[in-house]
Amino acid sequence: MLLSELEYARPESVEDAVKLLSREDARALAGGQSLVNVMKTRVASPELVVDLNRIDGLRGIRAVDGALEIGAMTTYSAIVESAEVAAARPILAEVARTIADVQVRNRGTIGGNVCSNDPTNHFPPLAAALGAELTIAGSDGERTVGAEEFFEGVYLTAVKPGELLTSVRIPAKGGARDGWASVTLGKEGTGIVNVAATVSNGTARIAIGCVAATPVVVTASADETAVADAVRAAELDPPGDVHASAEYRRHLAEVLAARAVGSAT
Amino acid sequence: MSETTIAPTPVELEVGYAGKSIPRKEDGRLVQGQGVFADDVKRHGMGYVHFVRAPYGHARIVSLDVSKAEALEGVYGTLTPDEVAELTDPFFELTTPPGSQIKDYALAVGRVRHIGEPVVAVVAASREVARDAADLVEVEYEPLDVLVDARRAQDEGAPILHDDAGTNVVWSGTFDWGDVDGALKAADRVVKIKELHFDRFSSTPLECSAALVEYDRGTGQFTLHCNHQMPGVAAIWMGPALRVPLDKLRFITQDIGGGFGNKITTHTYLTACCLLARKLRRPIQWTEWRTDQHTANAHGNERWFHDIEVAVQNDGTMLGFKVTALDDCGAFPRYEPLGCIIWAQVTPGLYRWRNIRVDFTQVVTNKSPVAPNRGYSRMQQLWLTERICDIVAHELGLDPVEVRKRNYIRTDEMPYETPNGCVYDSGDYARCLDLALELIDYESARAQQAASNGKLIGIGIGSTLDSGTNNFGQSTLLNPELQFSGNNEVATIKLDIFGEIVLTLGTVPQGQGHETVASQVAADILGVSPDQIHVRPGHDSYWNSHAGFSGTYASQFAVTGLEAVKGATEKLSLEIRRLAGGVLGGADPDDVVLEGGFAKRADNPEAALPFMACGAIVNANNAVLPPELRDITLNCRHVYVPPFTMPDFDRKFGNLTLTYATQIHACVVEIDPETGHVDILDYAAVDDCGIRIHPQIVEGQVHGATAHAIGAALHETFAYDEYGQLLTSNFYDYHVPHALDLPEIKTGHIESPSPFSSLGTKGMGEGGGAAIHAICAAIQDALRRAGKPAIVNDSFNPPERVWRMIQTPEETAALVEVTQQ
Amino acid sequence: MSDHTIGVSVNGERYEREVEGRKLLVHFLRDDLDLTGTHVGCDTGNCGACTVLLDGRAVKSCMLLAVQADGADLTTVEGLAPDGELNTLQRAFSEHHGLQCGYCTPGMLLSATYLLAQNPKPTEEEIRRGIQGNICRCTGYVNIVRAITAASGQ
Repeated sequence: MLLSELEYARPESVEDAVKLLSREDARALAGGQSLVNVMKTRVASPELVVDLNRIDGLRGIRAVDGALEIGAMTTYSAIVESAEVAAARPILAEVARTIADVQVRNRGTIGGNVCSNDPTNHFPPLAAALGAELTIAGSDGERTVGAEEFFEGVYLTAVKPGELLTSVRIPAKGGARDGWASVTLGKEGTGIVNVAATVSNGTARIAIGCVAATPVVVTASADETAVADAVRAAELDPPGDVHASAEYRRHLAEVLAARAVGSAT
Repeated sequence: MSETTIAPTPVELEVGYAGKSIPRKEDGRLVQGQGVFADDVKRHGMGYVHFVRAPYGHARIVSLDVSKAEALEGVYGTLTPDEVAELTDPFFELTTPPGSQIKDYALAVGRVRHIGEPVVAVVAASREVARDAADLVEVEYEPLDVLVDARRAQDEGAPILHDDAGTNVVWSGTFDWGDVDGALKAADRVVKIKELHFDRFSSTPLECSAALVEYDRGTGQFTLHCNHQMPGVAAIWMGPALRVPLDKLRFITQDIGGGFGNKITTHTYLTACCLLARKLRRPIQWTEWRTDQHTANAHGNERWFHDIEVAVQNDGTMLGFKVTALDDCGAFPRYEPLGCIIWAQVTPGLYRWRNIRVDFTQVVTNKSPVAPNRGYSRMQQLWLTERICDIVAHELGLDPVEVRKRNYIRTDEMPYETPNGCVYDSGDYARCLDLALELIDYESARAQQAASNGKLIGIGIGSTLDSGTNNFGQSTLLNPELQFSGNNEVATIKLDIFGEIVLTLGTVPQGQGHETVASQVAADILGVSPDQIHVRPGHDSYWNSHAGFSGTYASQFAVTGLEAVKGATEKLSLEIRRLAGGVLGGADPDDVVLEGGFAKRADNPEAALPFMACGAIVNANNAVLPPELRDITLNCRHVYVPPFTMPDFDRKFGNLTLTYATQIHACVVEIDPETGHVDILDYAAVDDCGIRIHPQIVEGQVHGATAHAIGAALHETFAYDEYGQLLTSNFYDYHVPHALDLPEIKTGHIESPSPFSSLGTKGMGEGGGAAIHAICAAIQDALRRAGKPAIVNDSFNPPERVWRMIQTPEETAALVEVTQQ
Repeated sequence: MSDHTIGVSVNGERYEREVEGRKLLVHFLRDDLDLTGTHVGCDTGNCGACTVLLDGRAVKSCMLLAVQADGADLTTVEGLAPDGELNTLQRAFSEHHGLQCGYCTPGMLLSATYLLAQNPKPTEEEIRRGIQGNICRCTGYVNIVRAITAASGQ
């Protein structure tokens, strides 16, 4: 519960943040709803904590021709409350609304959610299904990475030391239908299995979370049987733990993929 | 009939604050954040404790070095097992030999026996430094084989946790009443159930255990500002261990953030704090972390039921049963083996069968020790009888509602003596059941069940009893050497110099509203309003009157606590009336009434003495009193002693509790067959706790007990892996239901006054786990209606378990065999 | 080790203190400012007993470093009835028996305060969602929901 000694820095620009994050053993502090917990257990005890909360320009949601540009430090609450999101891609708010509880949503950020890449997080499968693009700032400028490339391994993403995620771009919905289904620990708790889906021109693009180090993406024609078959064919090898066995998670992935597609709007 | 005398006609409290839901005295400070909880108490120069804890489920301590930790700036000192072994004696064990040879100390001496067991204590100037220093304590362990399955504890080659005992068995015995073998022979059918499992969980109070301990070097007095809910018992353990007289242990509690029995066995930590306070010559502050509470404080008793055989008639009449019960009490017994007898308060559950045999064994395992968690030991027995009832009903193709009504003890049979001599005081189970069914609209629910599409709907009943006011003589049925019997509780009340009425309680409430309820009873007797009764918040063993069993536990306040308050207040009333009678011209005390803060002559209400005058005369002006009134002190103490006798050791027979509150719950669940997720569509709880002094508080206890039990049925489990690692050691993994997880809980009630308490009340807080029984029943009902004859054989049913029962119902169905005679 | 001087406004009163970088906000409130009404109930940020308002938003103070609150405006339970006169929510909690042991109550009150500020007439589901981050082990939430409903004038 008690953190190790740490140095705390509070940069006011992306440039300063990037410099600080180049130091060895520096970690970015976004919403803190994951990082502070990790530091409490001392599983990770960064020597330098770089608080991103005062950097202008990392927050905010802009609608650009139906697409959404979401600053990495935008909180889940801001996404839930956003008129732009409601108009352009409401599935983001629908899912954000189910993350943890309102206190967590008031601090937790989309950037933190994708960068921590905990297998049970909500935004990685959602970003993967929707084909998000993530912009990373480093000492030599910015680069943009597609969602599937972004998630590399357990707690590992394309954001390297000395880099900072600055924004997430969600493509325009167009005629697509989006869906989400999950089984959690208690109502709207930690994910046991979650599935994001988007259906376009009769094809479903499905991203399954909680079953591997990174979201597992599967495509199939948009009917529930084809979807279940495709998930089965993906031969998932999910972990077993105290909450669910591997067999049960594998079964849930099929069921929830079909439901996410079936309920997509 | 065993000897429990029936109290004289219950006092009818007139006017009556009793029976009303008055505003709680406790609320004002609590809603302003002005409660004083143990971690709020601070002392200048205090040192914060952090415990270094066992990372293994079972290991020998090879070596230990605290020098690096002690060298860290800000560290005040440490406490090691060697010091504890030298300075203290092992805590008193309740069980018989060889289990009584178990050596239980404040820190792990020689061996660690469960994950999280405290090994070394480090004290520092801040919490953070104490935590940092803990990482510098070097302990070398030699891992040993781990025992986490109680069913393996008696196997040859099983690791023996306590060499001093030479066995993992804490206690073992047979209880045999009536003629089970005869009943099994005579019955139309025998229903055999191979195995049922009551899972491991606990009430996890939101406030963790904590203490601020001071030692006065001049007087040798230890002062513990803490949240222990049974200080009298803590003192009994700690005094001999610390080698100090009990009076040198002063326990001060004020506000406690939930106890539920989980704050009864923390004497081990308190002892370590006392040693540190004395050694380091400064106040010592300890607060348990959530992870500590889960790994190393108190779990509820985990119990296996094997080889159950039930004698039943074709019409569903249940004649008797036998069972082999195996209780898993974790690494150290502590309050155990009392759990090995306390279930016998409710041996037959709510049913009339007369032939019952229980072979009971309790074993240690490499898990957190247990404590008397809410519903202690009776909940497990009642779950067994309810499971039997539903399994019998399903196997015989009968409606579980009808089987219950056929077998329930009837209201005209009350007071009812059970096969082992306990006396159920009063109750109307059939009527409570009808009320519960009405609340969930049983007919509609059955219709909905028939019409359901895709989802599986189930209806379940959970009947339970809350036995209150223990006869501690029950302990002698386990160990005839023990010198415990009966029960007691104390209250003192005084009329002070300015006419202020001050009441102190021996109880140690953790949210049950004792200050408020006690004031209602006292107010009615003294003819004042509860606002005029000042009830001292909290408990201070130094000044509170208290008795050996003082505390708050075991669903008894409404009887023991209130009888003590009533007795003390009646004494005060008599003194006031004698005094006023004398001062107002030689009137008899029976001719004086107390009304509105005055003592008035009944024949001439103008002749009245205000309470302030009474208080002033006795405290500051007593020369005006005639000699025959000078014994009046207006400071009255009453010890309530319930009318128990010693139970019969040979027959394991006798009355073990004074009152029995009923709760009957009914629920409707909807199961998603593809995921196994259980949703509660409708929930009703009907209670009967006799006369309700504060209906809102009673209902609040019903809500809370229901919430705990729903959590235990669907969400909460203390799961260990094969290495003895606790996998649900914090609130991230151990899921406590939140507001979206729990349904609206409908309530109903009836009042069957107890003939054994003069107020007609019954203790009722624990609740008896009715929601566990009801939800298990509903799940089994849902599956059966869907053509899946699975047996719900575990008290804990998370989605995956339910899903598996739907996939392969034959697996659990194979646990049951019905033979025709 | 880094020590920082922070300036915080709590319940309208301004405090300036030196804190270690690693100190959690809840410990700063309880230990440094002696505002012990905000409670600690767990060690994984799940129970919500530590809930306070930070710049008007309900947050868990055990999930923030004290230094992060530099320059912020905080409301704790002590700020709800500054002159001892209970506010509508507090009175409703008492009237409807929405507290038993009182340990979750400060956090619960702050979450309820935030909920009603965002949504003055919440449905039962919205109330339950609004206090989802506050664990209570005594009440089963039934009376808490009743209290908040009553406080909202519905």
